[in-house]
Amino acid sequence: MNNQDEFAIRLRQALNDGAERLDYRTVLRLEQARSAALARQRRTGPATVRLPALQLAPAGASPMGEGRSGWGWLRGAGLVAPLLALAVGFVAISQWQEQLEIERLAALDFAVLLDDGPLEAYADRGFGVLLQAERRSDR
Amino acid sequence: MATREELSEFLAGVERRAFKQAVFAVRDESHALDIVQDAMMKIAENYGDRPAAELPLLFTRILQNTIHDFFRRSKVRSTWVTLFSSLTSADDPDADPLETLEASSDTRTESTETSYQREQVVAIIEEEVARLPARQREAFLLRYWEDLDTAETAAAMGCSEGSVKTHCSRATHALAKALRERGVTL
Repeated sequence: MNNQDEFAIRLRQALNDGAERLDYRTVLRLEQARSAALARQRRTGPATVRLPALQLAPAGASPMGEGRSGWGWLRGAGLVAPLLALAVGFVAISQWQEQLEIERLAALDFAVLLDDGPLEAYADRGFGVLLQAERRSDR
Repeated sequence: MATREELSEFLAGVERRAFKQAVFAVRDESHALDIVQDAMMKIAENYGDRPAAELPLLFTRILQNTIHDFFRRSKVRSTWVTLFSSLTSADDPDADPLETLEASSDTRTESTETSYQREQVVAIIEEEVARLPARQREAFLLRYWEDLDTAETAAAMGCSEGSVKTHCSRATHALAKALRERGVTL
C-alpha cells in the first residue's frame, strides 16, 4: 500500500465519521426516502396464481399453497366427498327402483301363472298394482 | 433477485454516504436530500429486481447521474432566470457555499474536548473535499470512499482507468496540501 492509499484510508475514516454525525432531521428524511423507494420496488418474480375455490388443482399442487404444510389434502377431500356421496346416492336410488320393478313384474308373472284374470288385464300396470294390494291384504 | 429486506438493508447502508456525496457536489443539503431520494426511487423502480450483488455499482452510477442531471437542470434554469428575470439579486459575495454544512456541525454538542476537535477536523476535511474540482472529487470518493476499484470507478464516471488514476492522484495531493496548510494532521 503506497502513501496515497494510506492517506486516502485515513480520510475515509474521517468521512465516515462525518456521515455518522448527521442531524436527526436529515436521518429522518433519508429514512422516509428509503421507505418511499421500497414501496415502489420493482418485482418481476413469479406471480401468485389464485385458483377459483371449486377448481381442482393440478397434480402435486395446492390451490392455496397448503401443500407444503401437509394439510392441503383436507381441502381436496372436502371438495371430493360431496361429489362421492351424491354418486353413491344416485346408485342406491337406481338399485332400489330396479328392485321395485323386478318385484312388480314378478307379481304379474305369478298372477298370470295362476290364471285368475283376463290376459289383457295383466298388461295393464294398474291391474298389477291392484294385485299387489290384494296380496298384501291377504297376508 | 434482491428481496425487499436486502434492498432496504443496502439503502440503509449507503444513504448517509450518498447524502454526503451529494452535499459535496451541490453544496446544499435540501437539494442533496432530493437527489438521494431520486436515486433511491430510480434503483427501486427500475432495478429492484436485480440481484443484491449488483446494487452497489448500480446505485453509484444512478447517484452520479442524478447529480449530473441536477447540474444540467440548474444550468438551464439559471440561463432562463438570467434572460428573463431582472428581479433576482446578484449572488451575495459573502455567502459561504458550505454555510449549511458548517451550521449543522455547529448545532451539535459534544461532551468532550476530544470529540469536539475530531468534529472540527471532520468539518475541515469535508470542506476541502467539497472544494475539489468535480471530477477529482467524484473519482476520489468513488475510489476511496465507496471502495470501487479503478475499473468500476472508470465505468461509473464514463472515463478511462488512466483518467481515474490521474484524478485520484491529483485529488489526494490537493487534499494533503490543503489540510497541511490548515494545520490538520491525520
